[in-house]
Formats: sequence, structure tokens, C-alpha cells
Amino acid sequence: MNPQRLRLVLRDLAAGAAFGGMAISGQVPLWTMALFIVALAVAVTGRRPLADGRLSAVALLVAVVVLYAAVMVEQMDLVVAACTTASLLTAQRMLSRPTGRTTDQVHLASLLMIAGGAVLSADLLFALCLFLYAVLAVLSQGLSVMAEAGGGAFPPLGRVLRPLAVGVALSMVGALAFFVLFPRLSWNVAARRSGPSLGPATTGFADGLRLGGTGLLKSNPRVVFRARIDPDPGTEQLDAYWVGRRFDVFDGVQWSSAGRSGAPVRQVVLGPGEPDLLRQQIDLLPAYGSRTLVALDTPVIFGDAESHQSTFSGRTELVPSGDREVRLVGPSEHLTYRAFSAPDRGAARAADEAERTRRLQLPPRLDRRIPALAKTLSEGAVGDRAIARQLERALQSGYAYTLELPGRAKDPLADFLFDRRAGHCEDFATALAVLLRARQIPARVVVGFHGGERAAGEYLVRAGDAHAWVEAEVDGHVLRLDATPPQHRSAAGSGVTGWLLARWEALQIRWLDRVVEYSLSDQARLARRIHWETGESRPSPAARKPDGSVAVALGILGTALVIAALLGRRAAAGEARELGRTLHRLLRRRGRLGPDGWLDGARVEEAELAPVREGIARYREARFGRRPLGPGEGRRLVRQARQALRAAPSPSVPGTSPPTSRA
Amino acid sequence: MTSRRERFERAWRRFWRPPRRLRTTPAGRTYLVLTFGVGLGALNTGNNLLYLVLGLQLSIVVVSGILSERCVRRVRVRRLLPAAPRARSPFYLAWGLRLEKGQAFALSVAEVHPILGTAVGRLTWLPSGDEVVVRAVATAPRRGPLSLQAIRISTSFPFGLFVKSRDLDLPGELLVLPGRVPPPPEPPSPGSGLGLEQRSLRGLDGGGDLAQLRELREGEDARRIHWRKSAQLGTLLRVERDAQPQPRIVLQLDDRAPAEALDGACEELAARAELLLARGAEVGLESTGGLRVKPSAGAFHSQVILRALARAGHDEAPR
Repeated sequence: MNPQRLRLVLRDLAAGAAFGGMAISGQVPLWTMALFIVALAVAVTGRRPLADGRLSAVALLVAVVVLYAAVMVEQMDLVVAACTTASLLTAQRMLSRPTGRTTDQVHLASLLMIAGGAVLSADLLFALCLFLYAVLAVLSQGLSVMAEAGGGAFPPLGRVLRPLAVGVALSMVGALAFFVLFPRLSWNVAARRSGPSLGPATTGFADGLRLGGTGLLKSNPRVVFRARIDPDPGTEQLDAYWVGRRFDVFDGVQWSSAGRSGAPVRQVVLGPGEPDLLRQQIDLLPAYGSRTLVALDTPVIFGDAESHQSTFSGRTELVPSGDREVRLVGPSEHLTYRAFSAPDRGAARAADEAERTRRLQLPPRLDRRIPALAKTLSEGAVGDRAIARQLERALQSGYAYTLELPGRAKDPLADFLFDRRAGHCEDFATALAVLLRARQIPARVVVGFHGGERAAGEYLVRAGDAHAWVEAEVDGHVLRLDATPPQHRSAAGSGVTGWLLARWEALQIRWLDRVVEYSLSDQARLARRIHWETGESRPSPAARKPDGSVAVALGILGTALVIAALLGRRAAAGEARELGRTLHRLLRRRGRLGPDGWLDGARVEEAELAPVREGIARYREARFGRRPLGPGEGRRLVRQARQALRAAPSPSVPGTSPPTSRA
Repeated sequence: MTSRRERFERAWRRFWRPPRRLRTTPAGRTYLVLTFGVGLGALNTGNNLLYLVLGLQLSIVVVSGILSERCVRRVRVRRLLPAAPRARSPFYLAWGLRLEKGQAFALSVAEVHPILGTAVGRLTWLPSGDEVVVRAVATAPRRGPLSLQAIRISTSFPFGLFVKSRDLDLPGELLVLPGRVPPPPEPPSPGSGLGLEQRSLRGLDGGGDLAQLRELREGEDARRIHWRKSAQLGTLLRVERDAQPQPRIVLQLDDRAPAEALDGACEELAARAELLLARGAEVGLESTGGLRVKPSAGAFHSQVILRALARAGHDEAPR
């Protein structure tokens, strides 16, 4: 590609990467996204419809005025407005006549967008966009400087790309070094957290659980919260239930909760403290989208909640609500809190009479076949516990799991039990609870999550891990029952997609931990690890363990430098190879290659073939002698050799077989 | 003693002179403002991603310094001065650039000189190996010797944010000859300070009529041999002719005149000398300050006269 054209394409793509870093926050207005994408597509094709630029500059000015008016009336965030302005400015400059000035303006506006993206987004995708932007912008700017330098021919692209690739690698290493070492002494005057990232929040615990819906959520791989558990279970796949809400009133179609909300408090205690409680540090990500807090079954204490909004972070209060549910006072994009749970031993406080009545209540228009079915399925079992377990097993084995539930049944429970005989976790949980109630065993439905994948010492829970199960009161104890077949309780991610998702999530966690949440205490810890602290005795070299991250960083740096060097050398060698190939072809056509088919054996001894000999000599020097070809030298040598070969008579030695190999 | 002091002063100045000069381009200035803004934002908000962006921006500044240094560090320069530059007329300044190793990009070359420094030669790419000649058009407003001290190699590579320059000490002198003016039509008058003397001599190798033939002596020019007579007589004979009557003119210059008047007089004398020499006259030059050029003829002598006129009044204080 023509270097002039290439530099503009790289410039526009760099702007696209910068815009991407901002757009993944999900806070950029849709019309801005559409406008920018169209502008980028037009610019990449090489068309510049705003060559004059005056009218578009006026339109841009009007748009900026409107944007900041929206900020004044609090219809738009100031940072979003600034980012939108930078996007519009970049788009307008991209479509203008390409001069050195407009190129600089596009780069600087792109830099503004990247800074805006850093403020708006904390996603790992931002790192990807930042990396792309840095690579493309450095290459484009380097080519632009060359193009504008004037004087002499433009060098082969490979020759320019080598130092620029070194520049990119050094910039990255320098950025990382600065990031790690620069003291985090923040004034925190205008701290701002990331937004909900791409797409809306997913979980959305509703006030009720309505049967008949499809199970789209089950296949959603987005991580909605992460938790660090102490003591650490250590397993890769957690087989645990995260309790969100409990429902005890069922009207035949929908479950609801009869409890009332309490007063806001800093800490909610749901049960007696015990010495061996499971401690959880839970991070509800912006994708979570609900005010209901979750914790491992059975939650006892919730506290230390900290809400992170886009413009501030601070402690927040919690509200006990419904049946042992804990909710956040106000909305929050991102919430961190601590929870303590009692180990799952099936014990629970005794329910009062009103609660017991609610948990035994059957819907008024219950299908008459259901009590009979309850009896049939529990036939032979003695005692409430045995009946409950038998019903659970019967549903697990006798009914299929499906997320495809087309149409809307008038009585979804009867439809599940007698007609379709297939459903998802909500159908299984509802069926079990109703069957238990039909056998006079108090039961309620619990919604929350099941499972958790280990990543970087934490457990990630996805939207697809959303689950429903049953709690029954048996002999004064709470018995957790799950009628859903075990293989369908957690998210449906498998195969390559699942593996990739897991790796991506692990990276995302590391990114959040080591970059987004990097702090002064991390720096102090790092300093301690490399023994910078005064007064600390240095261990012997044998006792010192190498730091893995340092080794990785050095490895990345070394690899980048090696790749850069190889790229440059390969480019230089490529020109020589091209010269060799062309000479080889010319000599072969004239039948002047030696019997081995190598340039070294070529029969070019005649005086008029001196240019051919010169070409071969220069090929050897350039290819093996570290004396690269100058700009246009290869073409000149080929031209001279071709002319000389045309003028020279055919060689006198006949019968030379066509060569099959090259020098 | 004086020379030792001068050497010391030169060394002292060189010691304190920065090895490289860095100039910020307009885009670089905006970039630095943005970097400052991002840094302020990072400190204000504690946003780690802003620290990352800030780190990248600062790294780019550092990398820009490293890569530009690689471009200018190993360049060898040779000055290729024009032979006879005239005042107020454009002439080419040229430099031969060479790299033993590596390659350099987006180079510009200029003299470190208040007048000639505005002429900048540009080169997109300098590969290692052969010398590449870079030219620039320059104009000197006045005649006289221009003392050249150093050549400045600059590059804006790789990002165009800064222009890094390296000065290579390379003393030299460019003698700017008097500017071209139309020669005065009238002959010089005695009051104008210009003298005119004509003589006629019988010379040995003149261009006039045949005077005699004589035997060729050892060491004499064989082109003077009269081959027909030599063949007839069997010995080498050479021709002797009368010298042509050539005017001999000694131009008079008052080099104590004020600078502008002196420049004007020099240009006028230069024009007159060139005209007279073109007509075959022998032209000499004398000045009140003791400058003396013996009368002679020919194209080479024209350069001698012009060079003497270029230096007139500059001997004590070269520019």
C-alpha cells in the first residue's frame, strides 16, 4: 500500500480504537456511536467528503453547544459530553482534507478519547483498545513524520516499521514501569468509577417470580459478581448456593414474598454469630443490576457495604426486607460488601405460625391432579424428610430440563407436571414446593445463584448461574431441596467457548485486581517483595525466589524486541530476496543458470553482462553481507540486468536443464 | 598565551553548550498540555487507567528522545560549499551525509549561522553505506567571508512532537563574492579612484604577428614548433610572435569607506573587472588599505580579483 494512504488508514484506525476504548463503557450516546462508525468507514475507504470543513465546523460547534446545554440542565454527564465532543471532533477531522495539521488534530483528539475511555470504562477491553491505539497511532505518526519530511525517496516500509516497532515496545514497557512505580498519591477530588460496561445489567431480581418465562438468562455468560471466600474452599468449581430472595406466597402463576422492609442499617444480622462462619468479600459488578444482596447459604450477617457510583464512592446502608432478604438502600452501579454465612447444616430458626401457614398454602385454583401426583410420587416414603427427598428425586429423574418453553400456558405448573414434562429451574422448584405443600410439608422457593468458577483466587458467578430451589421445614429444621437435575444448575458454558470465557474472566479479574484497583498499599507490598524496605535483612540469593511477574514482564519485553528486530531484518532481507528471485527468473529464461540452478553458477562471463554480475554481487552483499540495498537500487539493478541480457546473445552451451532451486 | 586562552574559552563554551537541542513543535506543545491535563486528572481522581494513559504518554516522550537520538547520533557530515557564491544571488549549499551503521529518518541539515542557517536541506531517509548529498538554496545579502562553525543535524522522527538537533563542529569559511551589478558604461575617470594604464611589449609568446623563427631549446613548449620549416631544415624551429597590445588596468579601491559604500564600490569594481577581463585586458587591484593584486588576464584571474574584492574591509573582523 502507498505509505501516504497507509498512514491515513492507520491514523483512522487508531482513532477507531480510541473511540472503542470509550464506547465499551456503554455511556456514549448511541447517535454518537452511529455517527462515528459511519465517519470511520468513510474515512478508511479514502473518501474525505468534508474537504472544505467550514459547514461541518459550524455543525460541530452547534453540537457542542447543545451537548453542554444538556450538561447544564443535568441531562448529560460532563465527562460523557466531553468524550462525545472529542468523538465528533475526531470524526470531522478524519473526513477533512488530510494535511499534517489535520493528522495531528486527529491524533490529539484520539488521545482525548482514550483519556475519556479511561475515565468511563474499567473493562479489560479498554486495555485492548489502548494497546491497539498506541500501536496504530505510533505507526501512523511515524509514517506521517516521514511523509512530511521531504527530500529523497520514501524508504521501504519495512525499514521504517522496525524502529517504530521498537518505539511501540519501549512505550508499552515504559507505561507499565510508570504505572507500577509512580506513587499513588491521589487527591481524590473528583473520583469516578466505571459504568456498567457493554449492555444493560442482567440479573434483575424482581419482586416476584413468574412462571412461564423462557430461560434466556441461563445461557448468559456475563459475570455478575465475584466473591473471595475465607476459608478458601480451594475447589475449581464451587458447588454452593448463593441466596438472594425467598418467596413463600404462590398464586398459581407467580411467587411473591410477604415480608416487610425494615429500617436502614449499616449491618444486618439475620442469625446468631458462630465461630466458624464463612466470610465472603463480595463484589457486585455493574452487570448485576439488582439491589438484592447475595451470600452463601445460609447468610447470617451483611455489612461494610460500599457503593461506587460514577461520580463518587462511599459507605451505604442496607435494609432487611421480605423473608430474610437484604437490599441496598438506593441504586448502585457497583457494590462491595462483606457477608458471613453459617456452614450448611440444615439447621434454621423455627418459623412462627403465620409463616408456617403461608408456607403450606396452596393456590386457590390448584389442578386437582397435583395432590394425587404428590401422593403417587411419595408413595412408600415414611416421614417428612423421606417424602421430601423422594419427591426431589422423582422430579429430577422423571422430568426433562429445557430452556425452550414456547407459548404461554394458562396453568404453567400443570403444564409442566402433566403435559410438557420439561422445564427449567423455576418450574422444578415451584413443582417441588407445591408437591411438598400438598403433602403438608412447609416449603418456599429461593432464588439466587448456584456454583462459581475459580479465577485468580476468587469465585466468579455468571448471570447464567441464576437458579431457583426449595427450602422445606422438616422436623424443625430447614432442608434445602433442589429438584433441578444437577448438570443444569449452573451456567451452560462448555467446550471451547466455555474455556475461552473462563480464560477471559480470569484475565478480567487480574486486570481489575492488578490494574484498576492498584493502590499505594500494593506498591508498598511490591516494595517489600523486592526488599526495598530499610532495616529488612536481605535473604541469601539462594533463598530469594524469583518474582514471576518480573519474569513475565522481562519476557514480554524481550519478545517484543526480538520480534521488532526480526521484522526489520526480514524486511531488509526481503528486498534482497526479491532481487535474487528476479535475477534468477531472468537468468533461467535465458538459459544462463548453471546446472545446479543457483545464481552462483550462472554463466555471465561476457563483458556486456557486467550489470548482471553486479546485480548478483549486490544480491549476495545485501542478503548475506549486511550491506542492504538502497532505495530503488534493486529495481535499477534488475532493469540493467534485463537490458544486458536482452542485448547479449544466447549462451553457446545447449542442453542445460531448467533449474529447480534458487540461490 | 592568547591562543591558549582562546582554546580554553572555546573548550569552556563547548563544555557548557548542550550536546543536543530540543524544540517542541506545535503538535508537541498540545501533546504536552494534554499530558499535563491527564496527569492532573489522574492525581485528582486516583483513576488507575488514567495513570496508565499518563504513563504511555510520558513513555512516548522518552521513546521520542531515544529514537531521535539514534537518528542523529552517528551521522557524519561533509560540507560541500559552492565555488563562487555571489551576494544577493541564490546559491546551493550542500552537505554530504553518511552513516556507517543503522539508518536515520526525517533529517534536516543546516549551518549554525545567522544568515545561512535559514537554508535547510531535508532528507527523508539516510541508509547506512554510501554518502547522500543534501542541498539547500541559500542567499547571502552581502559580500565577504562568512565564518562557519558547525552544522546542525535535526530530526522530528519518530512522532513529530519534538525536533532534536545535534551540532557538529566543522569550522569553515564561505567567501561570498560581490553581488552582480551592471558594469558602468563609461570608462573610469581619474577622480573615480580607478586607474588605467596601457602598454605594448614585444613578448616571446604573444598572440600578435610572426616575429621570427629560432631553434627550439630544451624545455620549451613543443606546441610552438613550426613543423613545415622544421621538416625542411631538419631541426626543430619554434615560432616567436609579437605580443598583442593588451590594456593593463589597475583598479583602485578605497577600502576605508563606510561598509555600504565599500560594498557598492566593490560590486562596481567587480563588474568592471569581469568586463575588462572578458575583453582580454590585464586587470590589477590596489586599495588604500594595502591590498594589492598584480595585473593579469584570464578567467582564473577574475576569481582572484573577485576574491580580493570580497575580502576587502573584512580582514580584521571576519563575519
